[in-house]
Amino acid sequence: MLPFILRKTYVPQQGDIRKWFMKQHDKEKDNGNAPKPAKPALAIPGKASTAKDASSSSPAKSVQGGQESSGRRKTSKYFASEKQNQEDAKEASGPTSKRKVEKSSADVQPPPVKKLHTVIDDDDDFVLPKTGKSSAEMTPSKKLKSGSGKGIPSASAKKETDDVDDTPANAKSSGRGRGRRGGAVGGRGKKLENEEGDDDDDDEDAKVVKSGGRGRGGRGGSAAAGGGGRGGGRGGFMPFGERKDPPHKGEKEVPEGSPECLAGSTFVISGTLDSLEREEAEDLIKRHGGRVTGSVSKKTTYLLCDEDIGGRKSETAKKLGTTFLTEDGLFDMIRASKPKGTIKEEAPKVTIKEEVKKQVEKRTASLPKPSPHKAVKKKDEVHEPARSESLQWTEKYKPKVPNDIIGNQSLVKQLHDWLNNWSANFANGASKGKGKKQNDSGAKKAILLSGTPGIGKTTSAKLVSQMLGFQTIEVNASDSRGKADSKIEKGIGSSKANSVKELVSNQSLNADMNSTKQPKAVLIMDEVDGMSAGDRGGVADLILSIKMSKIPIICICNDRYSQKLKSLVNYCLLLSFHKPTKQQMAKRLAQIAKAEGLQVNEVALEELASRVNGDMRMALNQLQYMSLSMREIKYDDIRQRLLSSSKDEDMSPFTAVQKLFDFNGGKLRMDERFDLSMSDADLVPLIIQENYINHRPCSIKKDENGVQRMNMIARAADSIANADIINVQIRRYQKWQLFPSSALQSCIIPAALMHGSREVLEQGERNFNRFGGWLGKNSTMGKNYRLLDDAHVHLLSSLQFNLGRTTLCLEYLSLLLKHMTDPLKSQALTKDEAVEKVVEFMDEYSISQEDFESLMTISKFQGRPNPLEGVVPAVKAALTRAYNKGSKCRVIRTADLITLPGIKKAPKKRVAAMLEPLDDGVVADSDVAQNDENNSDAEDLEGTGDGEEEKPKVDIESLSSKGIQIQMGSKAAGTKRAPAGRGRGGGGAASKRKR
Amino acid sequence: MLWVDKYRPKTLDKVLVHEDVAQNLKKLVTEQDCPHLLFYGPPGSGKKTLIMALLRQMFGASAEKVKVENKNWKVDAGSRTIELELTTLSSTHHVELNPSDAGFQDRYIVQEIIKEMAKNRPIDTKGKKGFKVLVLNEVDKLSREAQHSLRRTMEKYSASCRLILCCDSSSKVTEAVRSRCLNIRVNAPKGDEIVKVLEFIGKKEGLQLPSGFAARIAEKSNRSLRRAILSFETCRVQQYPFTNNQVIPSMDWEEYVFEIASDIMKEQSPKRLFQVRGKLYELLVNCIPPEIILKRLLYELLKKLDFELKHEVCHWAAYYEHRMRLGQKAIFHIEAFVAKFMSIYKGFLIATFG
Repeated sequence: MLPFILRKTYVPQQGDIRKWFMKQHDKEKDNGNAPKPAKPALAIPGKASTAKDASSSSPAKSVQGGQESSGRRKTSKYFASEKQNQEDAKEASGPTSKRKVEKSSADVQPPPVKKLHTVIDDDDDFVLPKTGKSSAEMTPSKKLKSGSGKGIPSASAKKETDDVDDTPANAKSSGRGRGRRGGAVGGRGKKLENEEGDDDDDDEDAKVVKSGGRGRGGRGGSAAAGGGGRGGGRGGFMPFGERKDPPHKGEKEVPEGSPECLAGSTFVISGTLDSLEREEAEDLIKRHGGRVTGSVSKKTTYLLCDEDIGGRKSETAKKLGTTFLTEDGLFDMIRASKPKGTIKEEAPKVTIKEEVKKQVEKRTASLPKPSPHKAVKKKDEVHEPARSESLQWTEKYKPKVPNDIIGNQSLVKQLHDWLNNWSANFANGASKGKGKKQNDSGAKKAILLSGTPGIGKTTSAKLVSQMLGFQTIEVNASDSRGKADSKIEKGIGSSKANSVKELVSNQSLNADMNSTKQPKAVLIMDEVDGMSAGDRGGVADLILSIKMSKIPIICICNDRYSQKLKSLVNYCLLLSFHKPTKQQMAKRLAQIAKAEGLQVNEVALEELASRVNGDMRMALNQLQYMSLSMREIKYDDIRQRLLSSSKDEDMSPFTAVQKLFDFNGGKLRMDERFDLSMSDADLVPLIIQENYINHRPCSIKKDENGVQRMNMIARAADSIANADIINVQIRRYQKWQLFPSSALQSCIIPAALMHGSREVLEQGERNFNRFGGWLGKNSTMGKNYRLLDDAHVHLLSSLQFNLGRTTLCLEYLSLLLKHMTDPLKSQALTKDEAVEKVVEFMDEYSISQEDFESLMTISKFQGRPNPLEGVVPAVKAALTRAYNKGSKCRVIRTADLITLPGIKKAPKKRVAAMLEPLDDGVVADSDVAQNDENNSDAEDLEGTGDGEEEKPKVDIESLSSKGIQIQMGSKAAGTKRAPAGRGRGGGGAASKRKR
Repeated sequence: MLWVDKYRPKTLDKVLVHEDVAQNLKKLVTEQDCPHLLFYGPPGSGKKTLIMALLRQMFGASAEKVKVENKNWKVDAGSRTIELELTTLSSTHHVELNPSDAGFQDRYIVQEIIKEMAKNRPIDTKGKKGFKVLVLNEVDKLSREAQHSLRRTMEKYSASCRLILCCDSSSKVTEAVRSRCLNIRVNAPKGDEIVKVLEFIGKKEGLQLPSGFAARIAEKSNRSLRRAILSFETCRVQQYPFTNNQVIPSMDWEEYVFEIASDIMKEQSPKRLFQVRGKLYELLVNCIPPEIILKRLLYELLKKLDFELKHEVCHWAAYYEHRMRLGQKAIFHIEAFVAKFMSIYKGFLIATFG
């Protein structure tokens, strides 16, 4: 697959590059910045154009015969100037040729390139072979959509595209060569992201046509083929429901302009554009140096929208007088940035790499809209930066003063203040210091800085201490920080832990002598959350040290919520460092790049900053690494590089699923897929399962009736079911060696089958992966089973019923419900009669009010009438009342259901009472008789009619106490004589006696 | 009281269907000893009724004095203790329980609880039966491990304890367990038997039964006596006096499955699959066992299906039903079946009608 092969061909060169740098250094000293003299062209197979190279010493030409380009950018020009067509020496510049001469055999790499190319073609696994066909397949859709002349050239065969070449004038001038490009690219079946690949081989044609937008057709082509192959790592996350597809999606050819032509302009995109996806547009603007922001403000230069949809953005824009720009306008702007002359001679647009000076001159001369300061900067600074220093940039450009620190200035200030006041707060009181404890922030003896790596915690601590004249002593994870031996003397000179203790406990000698000007010390405990098994008792000891410390202690950690630090945080003033914003980072990076003589535009740096997730150190390392191979770094470079080697960030399962299902999901490497699916091995499969139906597999080309898609879904569903079986083996029988198989079956295969654009299946649904529904449904199911169980136990205890709960649910339920609800609904019965009937029935089966509810819940089906529908609320209320009224006599039967007020869940141990057969009237009587006061209740039951009239009173009085007392009954249960009635009866009895 | 419960025969002499079985059982018991028994037969055929009547025959009326207990058990399983909740119905002479309720932990119930119960010999009052009876329901749902644990218990404690096992299908009970029991097959009652019972009930209730009405109910009941009586009563609740063409209502969930089936037949698209998933969830959430859903779904689909597809569809249904038992998340398997069906059916439709 692509990245793999790339790496293979690419890595070995790094060593060479280093060497080369050294050489170049010398060389450039010799030659100044003049272009290298043309080396005799190397005979490289597949390159046609030596003659042409010779004819034009202008670097503008990279003429490549039939050679398909590699995935590398920006090389053609340089090589052309070098009289080299070799694509793959991309890292190299002038001197490369020299190197080539030296080891041409090693560097001649067309074969890998070829291979690379072919691999790319079908690296989207599970995709039907599309290489040769795609142009043909693409065509119909294009023709369908294209009303204008643009689409016409996109004829199905390459032949036709050639024809179009001859008649470029027919097309609107703005659309020069568009269709052709699309067709041509399609013909190659190229799906590369880096259009530069196309640039080079398009050049030839481009000379014939006025090359309006050479190469960009690649994108158009692929977009047409599958609905927007780009979108790269950005992920087409669309938070606001589904946005319509652009009406002429992929039809227009996207122009290529000078990389700086939009510099200084800020864009806001609104609504649906004519042919570009929003992400594509954003990408395009960024590539040309523009900025894209989310909402309109004064700084906004253009509002990019094709139709005025009258949203907030356009309103604000009108108010502020922002210029409205259509997509075509944008294209024109970009195109305009490339003056004719330049185009004619195949101007170096993107591919400047070395000989910067020359390039720059040329460009500044030729570009109509160069960003002036950039150009100046380039001129000024391109001459030799101090490259030979081997110092890491992270070291070299470390902040020198606290103000240099990016972001978190307020925290730095706080740190500064704290440190500054420390001696005032504690120096005197240190000995008796425990008196004043952690009340206000200044009173903490130590400070804890927390934040993600690379945002400058250690640096801040050091700088601030330095500035205040503290001498810093740093102890970090590389030192043993275990609990010190109890006797300090023992440890002197040996254990670091002891020395720490010693350090903090001893006042430095001269401190006593001279209280005003003392060389103060501060202890920086770095990476305290890294105190691990080796540092036994480390944190406790640290706390002890803090307590007795005579010097300030600064602790630094990544995760302040770490369990290990739980005790420590109480003793520290907490400062949480935030990630600097990408603008802040970009600013600083720009300074550094400037100092290093590297040409990077701001957008690219912002992209870098956002990619590294706030980690300045990593950003710098990346930048330095890239600077080894190129002098000018552009947006695309950064995107591409960091696509694969981006920082491991916490990825939500949604992001993981999104990536797997992404349009480009098929291009992922297997290990990436495993990483993604295991980023949360529990949730990702569930989310996949929930959403796989929603994706329209992009591997299917033509599928009018959806059969193929249905087949794919069936396969995916089967695979998910497999995973379930595997999971049982894993969890139940601990066969964890099956884990990868499970990931494969549950995530990778379904995603590989189904990846593609997501569509909405339900009205009003957001077009974003839903959370797996299984968990929720499963828990509802569990709850319903519990309810059913309860009801089942009660039914059993009625002794009328002795069947399993499944039978209850499957067969009895309908009839039970009918018996319970029909009387309530019927018109024939009066309310009281109906209620009485229902209560009687419920009593017979020991169905409690709660069971009634739960049976209702269980029998409710979505989209069908609720069984309780049509029951008047008044009747319901009457039912509840009647039930409660009668509930006294039911105490025994349903005792287990009643919960103690204090305890939320029903007690685990439930005991239902023993019941005598109903026909045995004597027993029943005696049963009740044993409960002294309860007795009267039972009588009430027996003498139903008048008894019930009196009950309300009883109820009112006893209701409050009932809960508890009944519970007691149930606890004592098992025995017949539930004392339940007793206490409760006490209340009730009194009133009853009146009768 | 529901008629099903009201007219359930209490003694072996009173049974209306399976009289022969009842008489045999009676003879078996009166000879003072009885082996372990395994009752099997389709639902609604009267297994449970026979068992209860048998118990009464053995122990007299005291077998009906039952106590319902819902107890928590703590079982020591090696390193950890497992808490199990179990509902039992017990009289002085017998204990009835449903070990498969514990799900995949049923093994512990069999190993610990049943063993514990089997060990304890009942106090012999007045020289009555020297053994107690354990009634285990739904033995076919027991896991393999649990069934293996069961067979040793059956032998070892046979002196003090008899087991009566009850299940729908004997094929899911292991050979070893089956061979230790006297197997009693309880057939589904025939149509005319059901009609007989319905008429008997009708007479007792004093109802006018139009001719052929009982037969219709019997037919609709799919030879389940319980179903027949239940729907008989449902009809009664719904409309009385009966008319001859009265609709015999089916269960809510069955109608719901029917809906799903017609949804599937109408359209085979991802969208429809998604809707079907929602409905399947609805069924599952309402405690309908997945096997039954799948079975019913197949039944409904087959009714509408072209002949040439039936074979294949049955195959896939069986395939996914088996896998569902191996797996845990039933919905995945049912959904896979539905997707498979859609894919097959759609292909078929297009091949046939273009």
